Amino acid sequence: MKRLLNVALFAAVICIATSNFSGCSGAPKQTPGTATASAGLGPAPDVTFKDLQGNNVTLASMKGKVVLLNFWATWCDPCHEEIPWMIQLQQKYADKGFTMLGAAMDDEGVKIVQPFVQKTQFDVQGHPTTMNYPIVIANDDIASKFGGLIGLPTSVMISRDGTMAKRYIGLVSEDTVEKEIRSLL
Amino acid sequence: MSRPATAGAQGSYASQVNSGIVQAKTYISLSAVPRNANFQAAVVADIARGFHMNSHTPSEAYLIATTLTPRLPAGIKLVSTDYPQGHPAMLSFSTDKPLDVYSDRAIIRLKLAAVAAAPLGATTIPVVLRYQACNQTTCFPPVKLPLEIEFEVVKADTKASATHPEIFSVLRVR
Repeated sequence: MKRLLNVALFAAVICIATSNFSGCSGAPKQTPGTATASAGLGPAPDVTFKDLQGNNVTLASMKGKVVLLNFWATWCDPCHEEIPWMIQLQQKYADKGFTMLGAAMDDEGVKIVQPFVQKTQFDVQGHPTTMNYPIVIANDDIASKFGGLIGLPTSVMISRDGTMAKRYIGLVSEDTVEKEIRSLL
Repeated sequence: MSRPATAGAQGSYASQVNSGIVQAKTYISLSAVPRNANFQAAVVADIARGFHMNSHTPSEAYLIATTLTPRLPAGIKLVSTDYPQGHPAMLSFSTDKPLDVYSDRAIIRLKLAAVAAAPLGATTIPVVLRYQACNQTTCFPPVKLPLEIEFEVVKADTKASATHPEIFSVLRVR
């Protein structure tokens, strides 16, 4: 993830970083402890990921489903906080036309992501559970097609028709995301 | 003598953005370094308000530790690298246990020695500060920030005065 951030977001992030998330015209309004959401982001780009087995995974192949594309990394603690309820959302809505898609931004790629996904148990309502949804490897080029990343986690909600309905930057609540999923299903 | 970080020297967007979060400078403990003398260098990382970076001993194995890696020139030996203690921080995403982090300012010191045959004159120790920063909701990509520690090596009998006591007089190490 050596070039994680889209250059178009550079100035905004510097503004965020140096102004404690306030008073930056053109930058997301944010205060520490809160995440931002934006809506109406246009069609999702036509991207091809590699899954952990090296197979191609296209977003186009998921058209017709509501997709929550979650950019995360193994070293990202707030990302870990979201994973248990993302597992639950997958359990709850997978048969209703929804899927999670975890896009790992680790520089080391499969080498580090695969053992993490296989071995790491998350506490899902008292039950140790591994990630139950598709995981793919992402990079800066892919992320830039979604408008670039300020940081992790960042999630993009994609509607059944392939439109990016919402983008969440930073840790977001399960309730917020679940309401959006329900409204799109 | 102090020297600021070269922002974005990695040429990556990650380092450019992180340079707004962490500003790093290098310091040296003596006005000049005589041969056969022990001395210290320090990297002072000032961390923007609302942000933190993992300490050298983060609370979870998957977290990226802050490290300082010198590339020593001829005639300079590394005695030890002393990292400051982190402090526990409960963050919105660390619900189980506090994280061990640096915030505000972290001073990492290198204890060094100039050997008897150290080349005289201007000397540079390139170092790389590696860190990974977050705020309450968002983590930013890991950065390897290249810095340079510059000083003059002088003859063994040369008098050198102590510099930057505010950096080198108090030492809390882990």
